[in-house]
Amino acid sequence: MADLLKFSIPGKPEYVGVVRLAVSSVANRAGFDIEAIEDIKVAVAEACNNAILHGIHDNCCNYEVVFTLDEKKLTIEIDDNGRGYDTVNYQEPDLSNPKEGGLGIFIIKALMDEVQINSNTGKGTTITMTKYI
Amino acid sequence: MTLEMKSIFNNELDHWTLEVQGEIDVFTAKNLREEMIRIFSEKQKDIILDFNKLSYIDSTGLGVIIGAYGRMKEKGNHLIIVNAKQNVLKLLTITGLDKILIRNTF
Repeated sequence: MADLLKFSIPGKPEYVGVVRLAVSSVANRAGFDIEAIEDIKVAVAEACNNAILHGIHDNCCNYEVVFTLDEKKLTIEIDDNGRGYDTVNYQEPDLSNPKEGGLGIFIIKALMDEVQINSNTGKGTTITMTKYI
Repeated sequence: MTLEMKSIFNNELDHWTLEVQGEIDVFTAKNLREEMIRIFSEKQKDIILDFNKLSYIDSTGLGVIIGAYGRMKEKGNHLIIVNAKQNVLKLLTITGLDKILIRNTF
């Protein structure tokens, strides 16, 4: 039986630090080592950045962070009802020619075992990521 | 969630050292951007970012550094990161920024 924890977070930059603390605590509870906890913390924070910067309009609304943990894995879902975007045309950053934006999703994919992004223009984005213990 | 910065110009070695303490994230990254623009406009010299006391950085912080790197490169200046902790170094490596921003010696 999996345990479920659900947080509703204001879509403002100053609260991402609160999410990081919560993520670290949940990942520690799940039994991950320090390096994996750090990876999960960074990946979830990047998804929160994504919700704030590319989803929610003008910090108006909350987004949700949902943790599901069982003995084998921790899955985190970051869900906003914001603008959404076209995931089909997402391009990975060209690391030989670094640009200021576009690194967030790339970092999430590098740090987590499974990542799924569902986004509909005008309806919002859900990023689901899993790390196995 | 705080970010503290201390900028010192080294006359002998002719470069800035910007010590960064705390966390650079979506909330604090703009402060780093402003400080780098401020010191570079005061004296257009190379900048060494000392990350010895930096505990966390995210993609918005990396974005600020990439932006500064590009602007400084255009003017013929260097931006270098020193003393990055393991977790920060990991992100620099994943994103390939270690190749352009990390040097063993300066």
